[in-house]
Amino acid sequence: MGSPSDIKKSVVIRENGELWLVTEFQHVNPGKGAAFVRCRVKNVKTGKTLEKTIKMSESVDLVEMEYRNMQYLYHDATGYAFMDSASYEQATMSDEDVGEEGKYLKEGMEVTLTVYEGQPIALQLPRKMTFKIVETAPAVKGDTASGNVTKEAKVENGFIVHVPIFVNEGDMVVVNTDTGEYVERSK
Amino acid sequence: MDIEKLKARSAVIKLIRRWFDERGFTEMHTPRLVGLPGQEPYLEPFWTEVIEESGPHHPAALITSPEYMMKRILATGLDRIYDLGPCFRNNEPWDGTHDPEFLMLEWYRRDSGLEDLMRDTEEMVKWVIEQFVVLNEGRQTAEVEGPFKKILRQAQDDERWRRLTVEQAWREYCGIELAPVLEDREAMAQVCRDRGQSVVDDDTWDDLYFKIFLSEIEPKLGEVPTFLHRYPASMSALARKSSDDPRWADRVELYIGDYELANGFAELSDPVEQHKRFEEEQLLRQSLGKKSWPIDETFIAALPQMGNAAGIAFGVERLVMLLTGSDSINDILPSSARERFSS
Repeated sequence: MGSPSDIKKSVVIRENGELWLVTEFQHVNPGKGAAFVRCRVKNVKTGKTLEKTIKMSESVDLVEMEYRNMQYLYHDATGYAFMDSASYEQATMSDEDVGEEGKYLKEGMEVTLTVYEGQPIALQLPRKMTFKIVETAPAVKGDTASGNVTKEAKVENGFIVHVPIFVNEGDMVVVNTDTGEYVERSK
Repeated sequence: MDIEKLKARSAVIKLIRRWFDERGFTEMHTPRLVGLPGQEPYLEPFWTEVIEESGPHHPAALITSPEYMMKRILATGLDRIYDLGPCFRNNEPWDGTHDPEFLMLEWYRRDSGLEDLMRDTEEMVKWVIEQFVVLNEGRQTAEVEGPFKKILRQAQDDERWRRLTVEQAWREYCGIELAPVLEDREAMAQVCRDRGQSVVDDDTWDDLYFKIFLSEIEPKLGEVPTFLHRYPASMSALARKSSDDPRWADRVELYIGDYELANGFAELSDPVEQHKRFEEEQLLRQSLGKKSWPIDETFIAALPQMGNAAGIAFGVERLVMLLTGSDSINDILPSSARERFSS
């Protein structure tokens, strides 16, 4: 048994014999009520998602999972393909299981997969990743006064990130993969 | 440290004071350091000690809200009072919406009810937003981007803000009829199980309420500025019970975007009932293994003179966050607790 304070992304909770993967979580404290952790969970078998709120003083059954470092190979019609760098064993995850985070994957990169009964069920990316800006409007002279102003920029992987106006095409930028936000310009 | 945001915070505080001053409210500057702080089961005061030069030591705490002192002032006959200053709460998550030291605005009116509080709040916030935008005309701080832009525009809208009873919110967002399960722990447990929530033995009715409210209702409530009112009586220790049904109480909260900005009551003035509720809270603290302390009898004794008052507490920094498009309270403070104590 574990405590709700150990709940984070990619842990798996067992309840009434069913396994639920935590995909998002947030600590909430409604002031006039007890402390809770609110999470979005996904049924490992059926894929059904649910919003669940657990009281901090409860105990939860956190399932011991296997975590494997694997290399991301490619994406095709069957989903995302990974390879265990030690055993050369390959595994595939569907687009649905990878979800939004697929956009960050770069061929050849190392990721940690949460594996249950031989099948990867969740993916953990490094929290910060560096991408090259391939398309963005040039900075306009005169509006550099405050750091608050942003513009859209397209990165090598094809997704859009909001960056400060001083960022140019060809720059490398660090992106927070939890929030999708720009962190800093990388050297 | 973001100087533009600190300036914005300062401007908002001035605007709020002006709104109240121009409407005949008096600012009270109540003490921060007290002997008997509020005993809400889920709020933790900071404790310290006051030492007299001649020797005696007195336990003392920083207020979690100025409520008790404000009500004692109301009881002297003064009407329309407000307080704007720091309040302190320990043991809360530093999640971007909380800091242990934060600015709280509270105001009270005699012979008033929830409708007056909602009207005051709406007029004050709309006026502050309008003035803030005027002040910042041509400056970039007024150019709020992203998800806050829509919310701010809605908050400024001429249309009256949505008023939703707790009962209507449960019906609208999860199709649950709350009235039949009020005060019925077993029925509420079944509602939770049916919706995939876990139920444990020590869950109170309120805990079960929050499991559904936090999962399915609260995240959507602020999609338009919304006053949520008429709460289950068990969640309203300082509020008057609704005149038509004692299972409900006259409590209101304001939600805008992802934030809960205010929490107010038609204030309970019955000393016997208040004493009973404080004893219950004290017992709940003890059963949760938390520190408890004597009930503030001076406060209880003053209640009958307070009349039918209404009062509301408002989180100033959360309004500043909306106005500056900041998604964390840490961005608008000179230095957050997380910075000072954690990293």
